[in-house]
Amino acid sequence: MRAFTFAAPASVEAAVGGDATTAFLAGGTTLVDLMKLEVLTPSRVLDINALPLRGIETGRDGLRLGALERMSDIAAHPAVAERYPVIAQALLASASQQIRNMASIGGNLMQRTRCGYYRDVTVPCNRREPGSGCPAAEGTNRPHAVLGTSDACVATHPSDVAVALVALDATVRLRDAAGTRTVRLADFYRQPGTTPHVENVLRPGELVTDVLVPALPWARRSVYLKIRDRQSYEFALCSAAVALDVRGGRVAGARVAAGGVGTVPWRLPAVEAALRGRPARQETYEAAARQAVRGARPLTHNAFKTTLLRRTIVRALLSLEAGA
Amino acid sequence: MSTSPLGASLNRIDGRLKVTGAATYAADVHPGRVAYGYMVSSTVASATLESMDVAAARSAPGVLAVYTPFEPLKINVPYGPFRTSWAPLQDREVHYMGQPIGFVVAETFEQARDAAMLVTARYQERTPKTSLEDGIPGATTPPQVDGEPATLAFLKDGVASIDEALAAAERVVTATYSTAAQGHSAMEPHSAVADWKDGALTIYSGNQGAGLQAADVAGALGVEPAKVRAINPFVGGAFGGKVYTYPPTLLAAVASRALGRPVKAVLSREQNFRMTATRPATVQKVSLGARPDGTLTAMKHEAWSSSSVILPGTEASAHHSSRSWYASENIGVSQRTVPLNVPPTTIMRAPGEATGGWALETAMDELAVELGVDPIALRQKNYQTRYPGRDVPYSSKHLDECYTLGARRFGWDRRPATPGSRLDGDWYTGMGMATAIYPAFRFPASMLVRLHADGQATVSGSTGDPGTGMWTVLSIMGAETLGLPVHRVRGNLGDSTLTPGGFVAASSSTASVGSAIVAAAEEVKRKLIELAVTDTRSPFHGRPAEDVRYQNGDLVSGGRRLGFGALLRTVELTGVEAVGSSAPGPEARAHAFASFGAQFCEVRVNRWTMEPRVTRMLSVMDAGRVVNAKTARSQIVGGMVWGLSAALHEGLHVEPDGRIANGDLAGYLLPVNADVREIDAVFVDHPDLTFNPVGARGIGEIGVVGMAAAVGNAIFNATGKRLRALPMTIEALLG
Repeated sequence: MRAFTFAAPASVEAAVGGDATTAFLAGGTTLVDLMKLEVLTPSRVLDINALPLRGIETGRDGLRLGALERMSDIAAHPAVAERYPVIAQALLASASQQIRNMASIGGNLMQRTRCGYYRDVTVPCNRREPGSGCPAAEGTNRPHAVLGTSDACVATHPSDVAVALVALDATVRLRDAAGTRTVRLADFYRQPGTTPHVENVLRPGELVTDVLVPALPWARRSVYLKIRDRQSYEFALCSAAVALDVRGGRVAGARVAAGGVGTVPWRLPAVEAALRGRPARQETYEAAARQAVRGARPLTHNAFKTTLLRRTIVRALLSLEAGA
Repeated sequence: MSTSPLGASLNRIDGRLKVTGAATYAADVHPGRVAYGYMVSSTVASATLESMDVAAARSAPGVLAVYTPFEPLKINVPYGPFRTSWAPLQDREVHYMGQPIGFVVAETFEQARDAAMLVTARYQERTPKTSLEDGIPGATTPPQVDGEPATLAFLKDGVASIDEALAAAERVVTATYSTAAQGHSAMEPHSAVADWKDGALTIYSGNQGAGLQAADVAGALGVEPAKVRAINPFVGGAFGGKVYTYPPTLLAAVASRALGRPVKAVLSREQNFRMTATRPATVQKVSLGARPDGTLTAMKHEAWSSSSVILPGTEASAHHSSRSWYASENIGVSQRTVPLNVPPTTIMRAPGEATGGWALETAMDELAVELGVDPIALRQKNYQTRYPGRDVPYSSKHLDECYTLGARRFGWDRRPATPGSRLDGDWYTGMGMATAIYPAFRFPASMLVRLHADGQATVSGSTGDPGTGMWTVLSIMGAETLGLPVHRVRGNLGDSTLTPGGFVAASSSTASVGSAIVAAAEEVKRKLIELAVTDTRSPFHGRPAEDVRYQNGDLVSGGRRLGFGALLRTVELTGVEAVGSSAPGPEARAHAFASFGAQFCEVRVNRWTMEPRVTRMLSVMDAGRVVNAKTARSQIVGGMVWGLSAALHEGLHVEPDGRIANGDLAGYLLPVNADVREIDAVFVDHPDLTFNPVGARGIGEIGVVGMAAAVGNAIFNATGKRLRALPMTIEALLG
């Protein structure tokens, strides 16, 4: 770990506006890890836990989550569990209880990839060190992405709840010295392209202050299905966040996003389109799920993810139908 | 009257200390003026070091010394009872990625770590060898395996070779199985505090025998064994990974001597994965020939295992399974080794049995399917009562009872008859089983029993308790042999200056130490009676010794009864003590000894996403007498989870350049609580008094032995898919 200065600003105004060498510390569950590994080497760390970025509020417009709300508190909130089960389930499928007690929702959205090369400073990584190369392309790439990859980077985005939020058309409110702006979460993340080190649209010193989820009455019938190598405390090989509006035996509306397979939380509009207006049954789901893997670029060790993604989506859709 | 504590269910005597953090592990020792050492690791897997730049590290804050192969600390090689032939920093050769190539000592841990990161090295690199499969054509033949040739055959008269026997078999199944390398990574990382003072060393470092460690370190330092005292009363897991002495212990010891102050070295979790102890990877080819009724006529088991370059060893998968497990007219086993540029390979829980059991017990399941017979019936049909090659019977074998009791308890009759035929909702369900066998060892051990004037007794020796429950066993065995309640007996262990109590390995320590306690207790009672009849102050003075009996802590003669504490006070002694020793005797020539078990598993596999989940596990064990029911069950349950882990989760992933891709606890998967649902272990109670006077056999390793095969066999029963490589993954089931 490198030496750094540490401060705990008392207001949002005092916290924002730093440069790229400043890191915000919330739960610390990612930042401290990566600082110990010297993957992240901020020269200034700002503890933002005292800032008034709290609140879990539900209303006619939807849901507002203060960026410092802990994952465990959001997951346990009755209104979240009732109106947006996909969010509660995605949170509860994440990490461990101890980590969920510490980690904030804002920090969750900012967490870094679990790519083993990104986390190992003795090997090259374009995301960590632009232009140095990508050992994952030919190396240990079983956990890596098949969607949204580039020659420069094939790392997956690790968040579960971001997948649910992208499916629900969530936005994030951002604040810097110049003021406040709101960005769709789907637009917040940047696919790696030739600049994998640029992970999102945040400006230096800009802070995520709120997460906003629009009202979606039929999100009450939603699910987060996570497939992984063990039953708990492990990142997704593949996951699906699905909400389904079935009327008269037909799909009136669908939201589908996938995790563990994309370089960013991966919304699947083609799958949604293939569901809409069709009978709510297995054949429809299987046909729609085939749309999910269009353009997928499997690597040497993760070709199974295309099959797994299709099946995960079908299983998730069937589970909602069974609950109807 | 006291009731025998043998076989009762006792909490660990050290349990409270451990869960409250009060137990003092090696790294918890903080001598005054302690300095901290941190390892510098190689970043390539095969090379000669050309140069190292340590200038920045040496001038970093707080740094006391930087040692490298260019400026080494002398360690004598070979050293210790195992004649260990490699020690860190003694030459410029790099044999694996993560090898220690430097040791930075500073005033604080952080200073040492930060300075270590400033050290750079230049290498003359070679292409590393890292693939077991690629190395098979050039595999080496170990000089011996357990004292026997690496290739062994037991053939019926007139049969020329195992291949001839297979060719003549009516039905044959042949398949190749593989297992992944595993990292030890015990909860307590390898660590040491070394304190050199006045020409002698005290070393605190988790190990499987204080005496063994003291001898190793004395050899490495080149000092008399009496000059080294090893103290390790609490060891946070060992399982074979702490039998040998590892770099932190050696370097802390020599650095403490060089600097004249205590030195502490604790490996990070990442270093622990890379520079200590791993189980070799294996590839195994098994052929089973049988008659249509299931009678085995030929078993051939060829095993290849990886090995580190610096400390060669063999994972005896074939010798430790097919060699002896079933009665076949013809048996052939062979072992080959492939030295690779990988972290040190060593012993891990059930070395050979765990990996060999996976291959053999999967092959037996495949044969049962091929012949259309029940897997348990196939095993009963080929029940082995004698040990091939030595032609001696087992001292006590009740595996048949394990099969039938296990089948009944597990509901084996509800197993789907046709693989892949049972769906419960969206989940395929199935059951599997396997045999588990682990040899029972007994090694020489001495223990001291002392009766104190305050009415307490102590049982002590240099044996260890790496979580196995030895602290509690000492009290139980002391209570049993002295006829005292357990609370009147205190144990002491984990100190090389105590009576040489042997080591904790190969599931041998309860049998070895327990037998020594039996002998020591008899001797101390004899001495007590002798004292009672010879000391003029004793109320028993002048009576014939044979008229005085020791009974539950009291001496009894005629109408008189006196506790040993009262007697000792009367004769003004603080205590009386005796050392008892035990070692295998003539019984070892006439018998084979082993623990046996039948292991069962139920799995569910989702029909869409194909992830396997184990829902029930059962072991029925024949392990002689159970000394402590609670810790014995814990041993078996822990072994079963270990086997489940090997089956579905665990494996060190070595990349072609020698980099360990998953060398931390985030990437190296173990089961979590949610992966372990119903789990049960029961014992059939047949004390093995032929083996030793306690009647106990080993339980530390057998729990792991058949579990991976039971899981795989259950997956086959559930899905109809036969997986032959560990760990068994989702993609293998999706494919």
